[in-house]
Amino acid sequence: MKLTVNGKSAEVEAAVLGDVLRHYELEGKMVVAEIDGNIIDKSAWEQIGLTEGMRIELVHFVGGG
Amino acid sequence: MRDEHHRFSRQQLFAPIGEGGQIKLSEASVLIVGMGALGTVLANHMVRAGVGNLRIVDRDFVEWSNLQRQMLYDEEDARHSLPKAIAAKHKLERIYSGCRIDAHVSDVTPGNIGELMDGVTLVLDGTDNFQTRYLLNDACFQKGIPFVYGGAVSSRGMSAPFLPGDTCCLRCLLPESAGDGDGQTCDMIGVISPIIDIVASFQVVEGLKILVGDLERVRRSLLSWEIWDYHTYEMKLPAPRPECPSCGRREFPALQEGGSDVAMMCGRDTVQIQGKRPLDLELWKLKLQDAGEVSANPYLLRVQLIEGERLVLFPDGRVLVQGTEDPIRAKTLYARYIGM
Ligand SMILES: [Zn+2]
Repeated sequence: MKLTVNGKSAEVEAAVLGDVLRHYELEGKMVVAEIDGNIIDKSAWEQIGLTEGMRIELVHFVGGG
Repeated sequence: MRDEHHRFSRQQLFAPIGEGGQIKLSEASVLIVGMGALGTVLANHMVRAGVGNLRIVDRDFVEWSNLQRQMLYDEEDARHSLPKAIAAKHKLERIYSGCRIDAHVSDVTPGNIGELMDGVTLVLDGTDNFQTRYLLNDACFQKGIPFVYGGAVSSRGMSAPFLPGDTCCLRCLLPESAGDGDGQTCDMIGVISPIIDIVASFQVVEGLKILVGDLERVRRSLLSWEIWDYHTYEMKLPAPRPECPSCGRREFPALQEGGSDVAMMCGRDTVQIQGKRPLDLELWKLKLQDAGEVSANPYLLRVQLIEGERLVLFPDGRVLVQGTEDPIRAKTLYARYIGM
């Protein structure tokens, strides 16, 4: 499926949001996920179905300082 | 005298600050936790801007690998292994003698956070771990003090202001259960200095707005940057969550925890053990002279052990065991030389 992930167009095998996180190996990490500008609660990652062209932002929290 | 009088003139000409804002800055009391890369940039800006009272806290000492990005330190500081809080205080006082700088060589714990935040009007995040950030978040939301988060690693960084009674808190945005720290620390995957300056500078912008009272214009979003493979993103802060254990239910979990006496310093090949008693470094210098090669400055004592590891003792009772990531090995060495 063609998606825009973190500003770049990407071809990802994905049905739900959780698949995208697994694709980028971000599952279980400190990530906040947005679809088209709306934060999706982690508890809904496996329920939210994806459609072509969605803009997904995976905000991976940065701990260093 | 006249020249001295003009040192803030360019900042006062900037209308949103003006003379009124400058007076507020001179009366402000800011706490910066962590005086590493972000912390040194934050402190430099705060002091140059004319903040009247600055409290800085850091548990570590200056090492050569810090000099690439920790802008207040120099080769002398690394050569003498000066504690960062002390080296930073020396440098900051030379920049602006009108700022009262209160330096603490210490860890920030549930036990001392209340005292460290006493009288503070703003907390800036210079820490390198989320455990301390959740502690700062909870203490700030309990006391109603604004907290400006920043983080940076590799070529990535992010920053967000959290205003009690207005925005959500860090826990609302990123619950503690969201995930683990994943070893992506500056010590594991590196960091380039421009991302530090970018993140800390954006923290300072919001900090200045808060200090001069221009709360309306505080940016209520999380900004994130990837500066090598360029991408930037602004995420609106969500509304406070009523079920949030910190700003919603007001339980402030990080303030309740007893806190462990053993902390891993992630990616540093170092385990920190917090002893219950203060350590008299003069006394320990004599006690440990047969344990290995001992070197000292007024703030810490280092022992290169015959076993290969290295102990670093601090007067506040902390001991760093360097050269191991195994807490059991660290406790064994601690028990052998310091005693449980
Ligand atoms: Zn909250």
